[in-house]
Amino acid sequence: MTRFIAKRCLYALVSLFILSVTIFVLIRVTGDPVTLLAAPDAKEADLQAIRVQLGLDRTWPVQYLHFIVGALQGDFGTSLYYRVPAGTLYLQRLPASLQLAAAAMAVSLLIGISIGILAAVNVGRWWDSAGKLIALLGLSMPSFWLGLLLINFFAVYLGWLPTSGRGTAAHMAMPAIALSGYFTAAHMRLTRSSMLDVLGSEYVKLARLKGLPESWVLVKHAFKNALIPVVTFAGINLVLMINVAVVVETVFAWPGIGRLLFEGIEFRDFPVVQTVVLLGGVMVIVANLLVDILYAWIDPRIRL
Amino acid sequence: MRLNRRPLLTALTVVLALTLTAPAPRPEAAPAGTVTYAVHITIAPAWFDPADNPGQITPFLIQYALHDAMIKPMPQGMTTPSLAESWSASKDGRVYEFVLRKNVVFHNGDPMTAEDVKFSFERYRGAAAKLLKEKVEAVTIVDPHRVRFHLKQPWPDFMGFYGSPATGAGWIVPKKYVEKVGEDGFKKAPIGAGPFKFVGMTPGVEIVLEAHEKYWRKTPKVKRIVMKSVPEGSTRLAMVKRGEAQIAYKTDGPLGEEVKKDPNLQLVYSGGIATWWLQFGEMNDPKSPWHNPKVRLAASYALDRKALSEAETLGASPPTGSIIPREFEWALPVDPLPYDPKKAKQLLAEAGYPNGFDAGTITPIPPYNSFAEAVGGYLGAVGIKVKLQKMERAVMFDKRRKRELAGICLCANGGFGNAVTRIDADIVSTGVHSILKDAEIDKLFEDQSRETDPKKRQALLKQIQQLVVDRAYFAPIYQLQWPNAVSKTMKVSGMGLIPTFYYTGPFEDIELR
Repeated sequence: MTRFIAKRCLYALVSLFILSVTIFVLIRVTGDPVTLLAAPDAKEADLQAIRVQLGLDRTWPVQYLHFIVGALQGDFGTSLYYRVPAGTLYLQRLPASLQLAAAAMAVSLLIGISIGILAAVNVGRWWDSAGKLIALLGLSMPSFWLGLLLINFFAVYLGWLPTSGRGTAAHMAMPAIALSGYFTAAHMRLTRSSMLDVLGSEYVKLARLKGLPESWVLVKHAFKNALIPVVTFAGINLVLMINVAVVVETVFAWPGIGRLLFEGIEFRDFPVVQTVVLLGGVMVIVANLLVDILYAWIDPRIRL
Repeated sequence: MRLNRRPLLTALTVVLALTLTAPAPRPEAAPAGTVTYAVHITIAPAWFDPADNPGQITPFLIQYALHDAMIKPMPQGMTTPSLAESWSASKDGRVYEFVLRKNVVFHNGDPMTAEDVKFSFERYRGAAAKLLKEKVEAVTIVDPHRVRFHLKQPWPDFMGFYGSPATGAGWIVPKKYVEKVGEDGFKKAPIGAGPFKFVGMTPGVEIVLEAHEKYWRKTPKVKRIVMKSVPEGSTRLAMVKRGEAQIAYKTDGPLGEEVKKDPNLQLVYSGGIATWWLQFGEMNDPKSPWHNPKVRLAASYALDRKALSEAETLGASPPTGSIIPREFEWALPVDPLPYDPKKAKQLLAEAGYPNGFDAGTITPIPPYNSFAEAVGGYLGAVGIKVKLQKMERAVMFDKRRKRELAGICLCANGGFGNAVTRIDADIVSTGVHSILKDAEIDKLFEDQSRETDPKKRQALLKQIQQLVVDRAYFAPIYQLQWPNAVSKTMKVSGMGLIPTFYYTGPFEDIELR
């Protein structure tokens, strides 16, 4: 077991290293931030002065080394655009992203699981078709489009909810729904198939043969077991939701790390982009590592 | 003896009535109400401090509220005395003396004095800081309300840099306070001499400002200003529609059309100084059609500037015949060429291209792709075929600086300054963005930089601008300005009052109904 964990941790470190190099290089080959920071008609000497001031005049390996050594000590450099430490910016914005992801997850599980079960129990009938339609919409509708539809209907037309920003629970409703769209569909489909699997299994058949009421069979025997893959999947999705809400956060002016990343890319704010992507990567890799270890602990066959 | 009291009573009544209704000198009404802005970009704390101004116009979005300058563009003119009451230059052009306004207090109640002016200049480290410090030998305080700038040599452009938003050197911060709280402290809780004081900021969400009742020019009419960062245009529009915001910056294209249809909203144009033009990459190559001025002129006649302004900015952007904004000092105002496709075709035929030619690509400054497509359509209509080339912002800027852009560039300059700074950047052969190689213009520019007589200098600068027009080096299009969505609950939105400014200003003038 120890050997297994050590190996997995090593893989995780290698992945992080590759990620850090990739993002470091990618953001740099796409352009020079200095032209975006200076006056439109600034002279080359002025640009060079800014480069020196920001440390962008050094060679890439030197910059990378500086970045990685700093990052290991929790210093992610200073944002070129905001002129505050990128780590501070990240921590300022992270709570908003966590909150939004939690709300979106709650929405996606509530709708996804309940409709998923209804669809599984009523295979081929009305509920199943309705579930398919919702899943199709959720998977194919771009979140910015869904977001704008929600704003125009609930905020402008009905006047029930505030258009954007963060503050009360009402502010959270629409972004949470917009972000949950894709995930609701995914959870719904997984719940349905997992439930169908379980319903066809021997022990459910046995439970029915024993003459237990159908509702008891569903809740006590089928549901609990069908939920295991859904919960695992949702756990990984939660990490994704925290990190991929770029579009939803922009549409709803939600001050999370997604919008920070969007602005970072727009202004070629190297430290900000590196921080958001790297820490997002850490989250995903750690989540996967935990799942791997958990599975190995539950099911010894995996360790082989 | 009986007095007839009636006339007396009447007289008394009249006097009383007059006293009651006469416009007695009342104290100014206290500021009231809240105005919320939906701002298109995320407000950065770096903008709270004029010392860091990068030479871009955006930080002034907030600085016109928080801070004040010695001299700044106002509705009255580009160089309106603000914290400086007046100024004068010595005969030899080496000493500039400023007389400061006496009743100015910062938000914390400290009076503004010459100390603050000297401190703000010496602390300044933004755009052109190096240049200013090279040219200025010393700043001396004559008395608390009089300050002198001593230059090493005569520098006719001193006021162009110090007295305009080209830099932040003339924007005054309180010396005592900055020294007390330090640099970081100042960014967290900035204090200035502007019409609104800083109350608080929620990073990425909003900043809140409150009226500075002792503002020297007048007591602001609005009590509170909230600026919310909302990057998505449709969301900004939804906010004003719902009454969450009173002003939404930058609602162009289809959003502007929606504003026009909404009975509760009005479409208000901003001011602005970003001029747009076509620039012909292969102009210096004798084998290229663009080498011929007639062809370049044909491209210019082919453009329907009014229709372009209508389509892109709902008519907000005034068409222009020069790449230098007409409000700028020393600018030569040039009327735009009329839309005349017939004349364009005729010019092309005269130049030997009766059937037009393939001009390669047109590359706009991102993200103005639809603009470039429309321009390409007009060029195509007279036979100049172009394909749109989209580029990433940073990449395009880089290529433009290195002069690696082939084909037509739909270029712009939004920098503040005067005709000299624009000629220096876009017209003389050494300019950072210039593709021109005109020895005559270079020589004239050289001459004007040494000319100390303002009249002669002006003549030289106008001559340069005339040559640029005569030789059709560019096809100027318009001076970009934006339509903004403003709620009808606003009496004065402050948009477009300063012709050279993209945002609200002056803030002390905005008013709710």
